[in-house]
Amino acid sequence: MKKILDGYFYFLKSVLTLLMAVLIIPVTMQIFARYIDFIPRYIWTEELARFCFIWIVLVGAMIALRENEHFTVDLLPTPKTNQGKALSLMFVDLMTFIMAFIFVAWGWPLVKFGLLQTSEMAELPMVFIYIAWPLTGLTWILFLIERTVGHIKLFRGVVT
Amino acid sequence: MTASDVALILFPLFIALVILRVPVAIALGLSCIPVYLIEDRLTPFLLMNEMFKSYNSFLLLAIPFFLLAANIMNATGITDRLIRLAGAMVGHFPGGLGHVNVVVSMLFAGISGSSTADAAGIGSLLIPQMKKKGYSSSFSVAITACSSVMGVVIPPSILMVVWGGLMSVSIGGLFLAGVVPGILIAGSQMIAVYAFAKIYNYPLYTRSSLKEFVSALFYAIPPLITPLIIVGGIVGGFFTPTEASVIAVLYSLGLGVFYRTIDFHNISSILFNSAKFAAMSLFCIGTASAFGWLLAYFKIPLAVVAFLEPYGVGPTSTGLIVAGSFLLIGMFIDAIPAIIILGTVLWPLAEVSNMHPIHFAIIGIISLAFGLVTPPYGLCLLIACKIGEIEVKKALRDVSIVLMPMLIVLSIVIFFPELILALPKMLMAKFI
Repeated sequence: MKKILDGYFYFLKSVLTLLMAVLIIPVTMQIFARYIDFIPRYIWTEELARFCFIWIVLVGAMIALRENEHFTVDLLPTPKTNQGKALSLMFVDLMTFIMAFIFVAWGWPLVKFGLLQTSEMAELPMVFIYIAWPLTGLTWILFLIERTVGHIKLFRGVVT
Repeated sequence: MTASDVALILFPLFIALVILRVPVAIALGLSCIPVYLIEDRLTPFLLMNEMFKSYNSFLLLAIPFFLLAANIMNATGITDRLIRLAGAMVGHFPGGLGHVNVVVSMLFAGISGSSTADAAGIGSLLIPQMKKKGYSSSFSVAITACSSVMGVVIPPSILMVVWGGLMSVSIGGLFLAGVVPGILIAGSQMIAVYAFAKIYNYPLYTRSSLKEFVSALFYAIPPLITPLIIVGGIVGGFFTPTEASVIAVLYSLGLGVFYRTIDFHNISSILFNSAKFAAMSLFCIGTASAFGWLLAYFKIPLAVVAFLEPYGVGPTSTGLIVAGSFLLIGMFIDAIPAIIILGTVLWPLAEVSNMHPIHFAIIGIISLAFGLVTPPYGLCLLIACKIGEIEVKKALRDVSIVLMPMLIVLSIVIFFPELILALPKMLMAKFI
């Protein structure tokens, strides 16, 4: 199971790196097309850039969840016992799970809506964009299960 | 539901979730859910809709690009060159490396739009050096963290891009307005360094010769041109802020290739890290926008105005309210969601009190800059402490001393709007 998740995680990381590299191209084309004649002035460059960008944000949010890097605020003292620590971590897991569930449940109508809609300039089906939300939700649920299992082990005092 | 009902759900729920260590971005989204479910006209579908609308913005693309440019600058050794130049300029002042730290942050701020990249890049080079030369760890960390906040005040600035996009203020105008406060902050911190050096008798160094200065300047010229290209390009109307951010990326990549300091392996890790960091801030923008949308939908900002108006609000008193609110919220959450939430709430108040939109923005941004180094959530301070290998609380005393003169700069900005508005009025009169 861990191997599959690791593989999926590696895939997400590669996608993020690639998207960031690709993102540079349309915007560069847009600038140079304005000042250099032989570069064609496509109108879809801006749209393509925006769509890569949406995917970057959501793929990044997926990755950050597994790496536990979403910004949190440290106000409360950390619980002293392992049980206390595990409980406070599991509360965060539960809240994140609710958010993930909402992304899937209410993101689904968004996907269905996207099947009927094409983008304004490049006429891409909008499904390719909207699907990112339920996918973020599902990926989060996957990583959350992995994480919560670890937290339950911590609660029971199983040292791994 | 009335404005106060909604406010009583949104804010306490958000605060409770954040205190219980739910990530800020998720807490913002979750606190909207009960309102969506209770009010018949709304549904949680709107959360996705607001997130999509906020990410589907060409302007915000500038954020990953400015971060990427800053990270490339750090990887290509450009930061080294800037440190050498700063050393030749101010290295001989009492508290030498402290001044170098401030000046280099100022130069770096003119290239990058992000304070965290500034703290990470300059900190990893200068903090070990400062410790070796006998400066205390807490002072090295404090001055690195505090000087890095110039990254968001001196143009280009990611926060100004977000602010300008959200409230339709000219980003070129904001960039120009950031120049004077940025230089004042640098000056105020150099005074703090001087005071430290006198009290703790930090070592003195000999002054660099003119020849050393000229050669350091020569090596630093290519990176030093960057702010002229970026700010000049936007102010002159040659390209948009997003395009300028890509130019910054291409230019720094070009320098990296020219200096032979960049290769395929490090570029892919730079791309990944910049994208991930940008994505985390941006994800927060989405849920914060949904939160801000609910505030606006239930006219909560107007309720704030109605509450404060009887007390008579002028530009100065509003300025103080704005600064106070942003200083407070900046301690707890990241600057970008703070702009989206508090900016929405305070904007009508600023309008009623006849405050100039650029003045409002600069007060907000400088106040949020303090938030980068104030606990519990001060990202630059956390980064600097990690590099300096000390606990956050050990650095707090020195941080607060360095922040004192910066507070004076903030009050100058509040009381004398003309000081910051002069430059944009002179160079971009049409848009101001």
